[in-house]
Amino acid sequence: MEAIEKKLREEAKKLLEEKKVDVIVGYEAGTLPLTAVPTFVTDPSDTAKLLWNALCVQNLAKYVHDVIFQHRNAQKRVKPENRTKKVVGVVARGCTTRSIILHLQERQYTREEIVVLGVPCRGYVDKKKLSVLLEGQEIVDGALDGEQLKVTTAAGDRIVAVADVLADNCLTCRFNNPVINDLTVGEPAPAMRADEEYDAVKAFESRPSEERWAYFEKEMAKCIRCYACRQACPSCYCPECFAEQSRPQWVGIGENAPDTQVFQIMRIFHMAGRCVDCGSCVAVCPMGVDLRTFLKKLDKDAYELFGSRAGASLDDPPVLATFREHECEDFIYNP
Amino acid sequence: MSEDRVKEGWDPKIAAIVCNWCTYAGADLAGISRIQYPPNVRIICVPCTGRINPFYIVRALQEGADGVLVSGCHPGECHYITGNLSARRKFAMLKRFLDYLGLEADRTTFTWCSASEGERFAKVVSGVTERVRQLGPAKKLVKSL
Repeated sequence: MEAIEKKLREEAKKLLEEKKVDVIVGYEAGTLPLTAVPTFVTDPSDTAKLLWNALCVQNLAKYVHDVIFQHRNAQKRVKPENRTKKVVGVVARGCTTRSIILHLQERQYTREEIVVLGVPCRGYVDKKKLSVLLEGQEIVDGALDGEQLKVTTAAGDRIVAVADVLADNCLTCRFNNPVINDLTVGEPAPAMRADEEYDAVKAFESRPSEERWAYFEKEMAKCIRCYACRQACPSCYCPECFAEQSRPQWVGIGENAPDTQVFQIMRIFHMAGRCVDCGSCVAVCPMGVDLRTFLKKLDKDAYELFGSRAGASLDDPPVLATFREHECEDFIYNP
Repeated sequence: MSEDRVKEGWDPKIAAIVCNWCTYAGADLAGISRIQYPPNVRIICVPCTGRINPFYIVRALQEGADGVLVSGCHPGECHYITGNLSARRKFAMLKRFLDYLGLEADRTTFTWCSASEGERFAKVVSGVTERVRQLGPAKKLVKSL
């Protein structure tokens, strides 16, 4: 891991010095112990703060989109002949590259506007799992040491294996190595248990309908409509979200349970064929709503019905943007 | 509450979102041919099934429709050539997704019905009304004021 980090810093520095990129989106150490937060590096001498380890959680494609669009909006005030493009370098793991592919397919920006620094990924630490393991004790101090986390809590020191607290989406990840790459940093990471990818969805499917609805209701009752999931999601980039439109008002904004359920159904359904299972929404949810059970179902359906996985390749179009003449007629009602 | 509604003589309310070129004309044909079908559907005409935002369906269920029927041109016969083909993908995923959440599968129905199929339209409406009646009043996702 240290070798990858060193190489990453070198490459980032080179890119900035050669003015091949204007900004690099990466991770730096957070202010709380055992956290890493997104950072924007524009000065070559700042590249030393870049990190790459199992604490880097958020999908950075979201920030790439934000940076490019902020710049584009700012350029509206500039005379057309003086307008510039901003090239963004991004430290990208497998799921981040999938999101970038999705953005490219949806024509959000062009390939020339980004430089992908691909890094292999062995999964990230799920803070909620760690918290459960520590029985809710606050982490006072901590350090990542190879495959172990050294955690200090009020109850004393503990050593936790990273493998025990990996996020669910990482455990069964199929794309833990970058799908597209301009620069590769480090050797490809070993495969995860991709064949068990849909096991949780299958288990949920086999439960009776009433039980499934009860679970959905229970999970959505936790939601406080903070929209953190939307803010973190790289696929949620609409300038104005349906949740905030008032003409027409698609969904009520109060505490009403069906309103929350409808908001979640629609946000999740907007991810049909677009969710890359990066887990960012789950990681940022302050209430611990289980969104993944429902998001993964859409992924499974898209694959089973149409043989496509979101952002798996630049060549296959997004699932709902294309069709075949004869397919999936089984749900059509014929009296 | 729903048992009371059945006692009060509840009858299903079904929102039918149909395309202007095939099913709406088909419904028209059923009308002028004087074919009888249940009066439970409220027909909403849209230019094409491809125009239907999946949100319309979820929203109808939230606003208290007991069932939603979506019908358009048969595949290959769309007025806009391929509108219903992309709609089919959307609806295939939506239907499976709503079923997965635990909403009754029969509440949402998708079918095709051309302008010459007045009889089929009547049959579809009778069938859907019957299926929704079996399920009883909608309880899940309904916003009560």
